Formats: sequence, structure tokens, C-alpha cells
Amino acid sequence: MGTVLTLSTDTPLVAVPGRPLQPTQQRRKAGVRASSVLFYTVMTAISLIYLIPLIWMVLSSFKTQNEIFDSPWSLPHSIDLSILGEAWQRGGLGTYVANSIMVTTASVVGILLFGSMAAFALSRLNFRLRGFFLVFLALGLLLPVQAYFVAQSTMLDRLRINDTRWALIIPYIGLGLSLAVYLLKAYIDTLPRELFESARMDGCGDLRMYFVLVFPLIRPGLATVAVFSILGAWNEFLLATLYIQSDEYKTIPVGLVAFTGKYSTDYPLLFAALSIITIPMVAIYVIFHRQVINGITEGTLR
Amino acid sequence: MRPSSRWTPYLLVGPAVAFFTFVVGLPLIGTIALSFTKWSGTNRIKFIGLDNFVRAFHDDVYRLTYVHTFIYIAATLVLEVAVGFGLAGLVSVQGKRTAWYRVTFFIPVMLPMVVIAVLWSFIYSDDGGLINSFLTAIGHDDWRQVWLGDPSTALLAICVVSGWIYAGFYMAIFYAGMQRVPQSLLEAARLDGASEADLFFKIKVPLVRGMTEVAALLCITGAFQSFDLFYVMTKGGPDHATEIVTTYLVSTVFVDHEVGYGAALSVVMSVVVIGTGLLYVKLRRGDGVDVEY
Repeated sequence: MGTVLTLSTDTPLVAVPGRPLQPTQQRRKAGVRASSVLFYTVMTAISLIYLIPLIWMVLSSFKTQNEIFDSPWSLPHSIDLSILGEAWQRGGLGTYVANSIMVTTASVVGILLFGSMAAFALSRLNFRLRGFFLVFLALGLLLPVQAYFVAQSTMLDRLRINDTRWALIIPYIGLGLSLAVYLLKAYIDTLPRELFESARMDGCGDLRMYFVLVFPLIRPGLATVAVFSILGAWNEFLLATLYIQSDEYKTIPVGLVAFTGKYSTDYPLLFAALSIITIPMVAIYVIFHRQVINGITEGTLR
Repeated sequence: MRPSSRWTPYLLVGPAVAFFTFVVGLPLIGTIALSFTKWSGTNRIKFIGLDNFVRAFHDDVYRLTYVHTFIYIAATLVLEVAVGFGLAGLVSVQGKRTAWYRVTFFIPVMLPMVVIAVLWSFIYSDDGGLINSFLTAIGHDDWRQVWLGDPSTALLAICVVSGWIYAGFYMAIFYAGMQRVPQSLLEAARLDGASEADLFFKIKVPLVRGMTEVAALLCITGAFQSFDLFYVMTKGGPDHATEIVTTYLVSTVFVDHEVGYGAALSVVMSVVVIGTGLLYVKLRRGDGVDVEY
């Protein structure tokens, strides 16, 4: 980490474009070129801090146990992709991935649908409990999960939905709604008032207005909410590890922890499992990086 | 706008409110109620008044979790927020042309924390780990450590991983702020002989000052709620050296089955987090004015 600190403070000082004393074009150009070579060298060096662990993870899965221990920095002798299939099979990764897909899909659909419905009503319709509901839902923005998960787990236990996929889907929807409503309401607030009024003049009822007018118009807002809801549900660990015990319902994060426990001595297999989970995510992220970065930053800054 | 009928607003808000009540509202009331009781989860609930809170203030491990959280906050303010700030300053020198670097720095933010925790456990491992073998390679065998197994290094080792994850996140925020400076202004300043350092300290830094407060508070409230890294990498050990509020809470409730006491611990923690959160909301309002120019 020390390197990052020194690099990040030093470089701007070094990257001075040609001196203003003798501003001949040539000198200036050379100076700019030299400083930009330096700049990209520094940037690449910092990138390696991020990339080396990930590359090491993928390459280690193709090495033998001894190679991993004796020469962690060496390259594998050959790339045998069958280790990935073996990790998938023996670790039962298919089950975890399927569960993650099911839980994430159900949660995100619930968040988007119920969130946008509530956001429309709270943004555009006057009704008595509107103010109360707004404050009530805003509680979710302020409270940490730790404020209520103790009693939540007891409730799920009593209702006998503990250790099922519902034990994750229902909390994920409830937890995700606050932020979704808040962001989507802000989005609907910006739509022109006349739009709703003229629709109403034409005899459009509230429900039709939601489906025909609001839902299509707030698609960009829904996309933002979808991004951080998907990643939130996909990566969630605390509730998943507390509420799910059976292997058949575990999502990827809990499943991976179970996997590391079961095969704690089989390093190539562990690295292969980590790679199987990481590579597709990074690939999807690289394609949609703009949406992902915007979605996460907007979602966290609220 | 007037609703088209009396019940449609409630129909629209209904599902969200129902879910929220079930998942957050009732459990919140339940947790507060449980904090005044002694309960193992299966036996009869016994009301014991404020005893749990008195016990919490005398609980050495619980107090230790706050000490660790403060160390974690101090370290991550540097490793996440300050480093992220530095990275943003760096990439903003070349702006749009650094897209791939920015994409790279953000990778750990979107990966499951569990994957990163497992990966870094290997990187820190005493033999075969990247760090120790690197130290040997550069001739410093004496610097090798059992990073996560030694109480004196474990907490700091986790802080470093946390920095590795979130520096890119704070970079993204600060970079977005710094990009609001019109390029023409920067060009003009450059032609007048301003160095990149001048541009950074005299134009970009003042512009994102309001954001640094927001980022710091985000880092602090996030620190109180962190769990995944600690739970997967050390489970709070060795010997409570990396015990933080949530890991202790989880072992109190789900391992020791002290549900009432755990509820009290979570109430105390929530008060702390909400206090910080309210400060955050207040500063957010101030930020709105700040950004105007």
C-alpha cells in the first residue's frame, strides 16, 4: 500500500508540461511526451496491484498443489481446463449458482415492481398516509441490518421459512425497497406535471397511468436500481450465512465458504472455484462497466 | 394530483409497505423488545430490564470491538478515502483516456466480498502466499509474517484488503466530482503555466471538498456495518484480535444463543450508526449548496 500512497502524491508534481521559460513548441512536446510516458507507467503499476491477485488466482488453478506452495509466482506448466469442470462438479457449484440466480431474479423483480408502484403513488398522488409512509420507508435508509436481524431471524424461524430461498428473497426485497422507492420517487418527481394531468383529463385511472405512462418512462431509473439490487442480492453474505443451512439452498457466497471448508487443502480446486465465480462476473462487468459504476455509486450516495 | 379512486394509492403503496413492515418494521420493534430480556431462543423469555445494557458496558470483548472498529475506521479513511482521492487526482490528469484504468480499479467493488476474502487469505498465507514469497524473493526472509494468524498484524492485514476493495469506489466518486471542472478552464490554466499539481490542489480539490466529508462519513458508517471480510478471513480471531461489532453480535446470538443480550448489543450499535448517519444527512444538505458554483 505504501507504494500507492507515494505514487499518488508525487506524480502530479512530476508531470509538469514543458517549462514556461522557453516555450518552444518542440521542447514542450517532448516534455509532454516524457511526462505522459511516466504517467502511464505509474498508472499501469497501480493497475498491477489490482490485477496480479486476480491473475494469480486464475493461473494457480492450473498448477499442482506443490507448484502453488513452492513457487507461487511461477506460471503453470500447462493450461488444463478440466480442473474447472472438476471444481464445478465436486463442489456442486451448479446448485449455488442456480440458487443465486433464482434468489437474485426474484428479489430484483420484487424490488423494481413494488418499488416503482410505491414511488409513483408517493410522488404523484395525494392521500392521507402519504407523509407517514415516506418517513416509514426512509427508516430503511438509516437503519443498519444489524438493528433488526436478531428478531428477523426469530420471525423467519417461527414462520418456518428459515432455510428456504424465501428466507433470502423476502428480506432482500424488504431491504432493497427503501432505496429503490427513494431513487425512483426522485426520478418521477422530475417528470412534467402536465403529462399526468392530461392523461387524467383523458380519463386515465391511477393503475393504468402506472403501467402505461410511468413504468416505460422511468426505465433509466429502473436500470440504475436494477444494477445495485442485482449486485446486492448476488453478493449478500451476512443474512445468507445466518438463514441458510442446507447445501441445496446456499447462494454463491455461502456456498464458497462451505466449499473452502470442505476442500481446504486442495488449493488448485479452490482457486478453480474462485475463478469460475469471478471470471464471468468480470466479463459482464467489463461490458457494462459504465452502468455498473454509475449504479453502485448512485446507489451508495443516494 | 387527486387519486382516481380512494383505494388505488394504498394498492400501489401496499406491497412495498407490507414487505418493509415484515422485514424491517416488526423485527426492529422485536429486537428492541428482546434487548430487555434474557432468552436463548428456545426457553421462556424472561424480562430483565436494563441488565443487558449494563452488561454490555462491562463486557471487555464488546468494548474491544469498538476499539477495533475505530482502528479500522482510521486505517480505511487513509487506505480507502485518501488513496481513492489520490487515484482520482491521478486519473483526472488524463481524464477520458484513463477509462480502462478506472474500470480496473473498480473491479473489486463489484466482486463478492467473500471471493476477495478467500483470495486474500491465500495471498497472506504463511507459505505459498504471494506476500511472504515476495518478501523472500527480495531477500527479506525476516519480514515474513503469519499475517492473519498473528494478533499484532491481523487487523491491519484486513484493513489493507478493505482498502484494496474500496479505494476504487471512492476514486469513482471523487473522479466524477473532479470531472465537473470544464476542460476549457483547465486548458486555459495550463497555457498560463499552471502545473498539474496546481490544477489538482487549487481547482479540483476545492471543488470536491464537500464530497470528502460525505465520503468520510460513508466510510465510517460502512465500517460499523462490515462483516464479510472479518468473518471469512479470521472469524474475529486470533484471540478476538479482529473482533468487530457484527462478528461478536453473530457469535453471541447464533453460537452462544444469547438472543436477548445480542439484541441489546445491536441496539447500542444501531444508535451509534444512526447518530453518524444523521450527521451524514445533515452534511449532504450542506453539500448541495457547495456544489452550486
